[in-house]
Amino acid sequence: MTPPLELEQVMLAVELGPLRLEHPLVDASGTFDLLEYARRYRGDFFADFPYAAYVPKTVTADARTGNPPPRVTETPSGMINGIGLENPGIDAWIGGLSEWAALRRPVIVSVGGNSPDQYAAVVRALETHLASAFAATVPRLEGFELNVSCPNVAGGPQIGADPAATAAVVGACRAETTRFLLVKLTPNVSDVTLAARAAVEAGADGLSLVNTFKAMVLDRETLRPFLGNRTGGLCGPAIKPIALRMVAEVAQALPGVPLVGMGGVISGLDALEFIACGATAVGVGAANFTGFEAPSRIVAELRAELAARGFASPAAARGIALDA
Amino acid sequence: MTAKAVDDHAHSEQWAETSHCRVSAVRRFGAFTAFELVAPRIAGKAAPGQFVMVTVPGGGFLLRRPLSMFTVHGDRAGLLVEARGAGSERLAGLEVGETVDLAGPLGSAFPTKGVTNALLVGGGIGCAPLQYLADELVTAGANVTAAFGFRDFRAARAAGAFAVERLWVASEDGAVGRRGTVMDVLAELDAPPNTVVYACGPAAMIGAVQRWTLEQGLRGYASLEAHMACGSGSCRGCVVDTTRGKLRVCSEGPVFALDEVRP
Repeated sequence: MTPPLELEQVMLAVELGPLRLEHPLVDASGTFDLLEYARRYRGDFFADFPYAAYVPKTVTADARTGNPPPRVTETPSGMINGIGLENPGIDAWIGGLSEWAALRRPVIVSVGGNSPDQYAAVVRALETHLASAFAATVPRLEGFELNVSCPNVAGGPQIGADPAATAAVVGACRAETTRFLLVKLTPNVSDVTLAARAAVEAGADGLSLVNTFKAMVLDRETLRPFLGNRTGGLCGPAIKPIALRMVAEVAQALPGVPLVGMGGVISGLDALEFIACGATAVGVGAANFTGFEAPSRIVAELRAELAARGFASPAAARGIALDA
Repeated sequence: MTAKAVDDHAHSEQWAETSHCRVSAVRRFGAFTAFELVAPRIAGKAAPGQFVMVTVPGGGFLLRRPLSMFTVHGDRAGLLVEARGAGSERLAGLEVGETVDLAGPLGSAFPTKGVTNALLVGGGIGCAPLQYLADELVTAGANVTAAFGFRDFRAARAAGAFAVERLWVASEDGAVGRRGTVMDVLAELDAPPNTVVYACGPAAMIGAVQRWTLEQGLRGYASLEAHMACGSGSCRGCVVDTTRGKLRVCSEGPVFALDEVRP
C-alpha cells in the first residue's frame, strides 16, 4: 500500500471528455435544484456551487405534469420515487435560462422524450437558442445527457432497455449537436453493456449509469401500491453494489469511454469506489435529500479517502477494481 | 476517515438553519409525542406554518421527515409527531438528552397581519402548526377560536397537547369532545364576517373546510401535508394540484390560500 499523502497533495480535477471538472462530483439529474438552493443560501450560490458540473432535472419537448401523489417514500437503505419527469417543456425551460446564467460551472442538460424526434427537438431547440443568445444570458451549457432510462413514464418499456432504440435516440441527437453527449443507461436489463455499446457506436461521447431500478412499495395498511404511479425508481445505498458491478462491466467492455458512475453515493468512499470501478465522474442523487451540506461533505471526504491511500488524483485510482 | 478534511467548498456553515439539537422535553399523548428541542437559530427565524426537516437518529434512515413547528418559546422549538411508519415511530420514541439534526425553518408561513378574528381548524396531526399560530395570533391581540377533530380515542388524547383558550374538540368515536367531525363543530359556530380561517389536516377535511368557508363568505389559508424527500424544492416529490398548477408543498407551500388548493 502506498503511503498516505497530505490533503493538499491531492489534485481533485478530472477531465470528462472535453469537460474540465474541478473535482469528480456532479449531481444526479432531478435531485438538486440550483435555484432552490440559491434562494436559501446566504452567500453567492452561483459562485459557491458545490458540484463540479450541474445536471438539471430532465427537460422534455413538451411540458409534463408528472405522476399523481404520493411520489416518494423511504425504503430500507434507500428510497423510491415516481415523479414522472415533471418539467415545463423546453421552450419555457429556455425562457428561464437567464435566471441562472451566473453559474460558473459547466452544465450538462438532461434530455428526455418518448421518441428520437422528441429528444432531437430538445437538443435542436437549445442549440438554436445558444447560436444567437448573448453570452451573459445563458449558463455554460457544455453537454447533454440523454435520459433514456426514466422508469416512471408511460409509453411501454424504457428506450434504454433496447439497444437499437437507444442508438436511434443517440443518432438523432448526435446530428443536432457537437457538444459532449452522454447517455444515461438503465440498470433494468440483464446485460448493461449492450445498450452501452450501442450508444457509443451511435455517437455518444460518454455514458452515465445507473438510473433507478424499477420497483414497487406497498402501503402497509391497505397492501396496495403506495406510489400514485404504482411503480417507481429505487435509489440510495441499497442499489450501490449493483451499480458498482454495472459500472465495472461497462468500463471493462468499453475502455476509454468516459463514465459518470452513480447509485447510492452517500460518502466520499462511495464515490471513490465508483472511480475504482472505472468512473471518471460520480453522480450524487439521494444523498442530496439527506442534508444541504452533503455535496461539499462528499467532496471533502473523497479528498481524504484519496490521500489516505496515497492517490494524488482520482485518475490514479481509476479502474483499479477492474480485471487487468 | 481520519481528520476533518479541508472542505473544498466550505459553505456548510452558511446553511445556518441546519442545527444539531438536543431534546429538552418530551410528553406523550397516545399516538402523538410532543417534544421540545434547543434550537436557537431555528426558533429565532421561524414563523407559524413553517416546518423543519428532521433527521431520524440511530442510523438506518436515509430521508429526513418534515414536521411542522408546533411551538416556539425562546430558544426552544417544539414539534409534534404521530407514529405512522418506522421513521416517525423512531421520532415519537425520542427521549430527553438525545440529539437530532434539524433543517429549517422551511416553507411558507400563515399570513397573520391585521387579523382580528381567527378560526383555526385542524384534523389529527394537522393540528400541530395551529398551536404555534394560535400563540402568535393571541400575542398579536386577535380573537382565536379553534376546532380540532380526531379519529378515535387514541388520537384524541393529542388534544391534551394543545393550549388554546377557545378550543372545541370533536372525535369520530365520541371519546373526547363532541362525537363527529370538525365540520359538525363548525356548523354550530358563529363566525364574525371578518374571520380568517386557517386549516390544516387531511385532504378531505381541507376540501370540506374550503366549501364551508366559501359558503360563509370568509377567506382563509390551508397548510397541506405531503410525502417529501428533499423538503427544499429539489425533488418535486410533494407537489399538489392548485389553481396555479402543480405546486410544491415544501417550497411554494405548505401554506396556500384556501381558495387555490384542490384537495
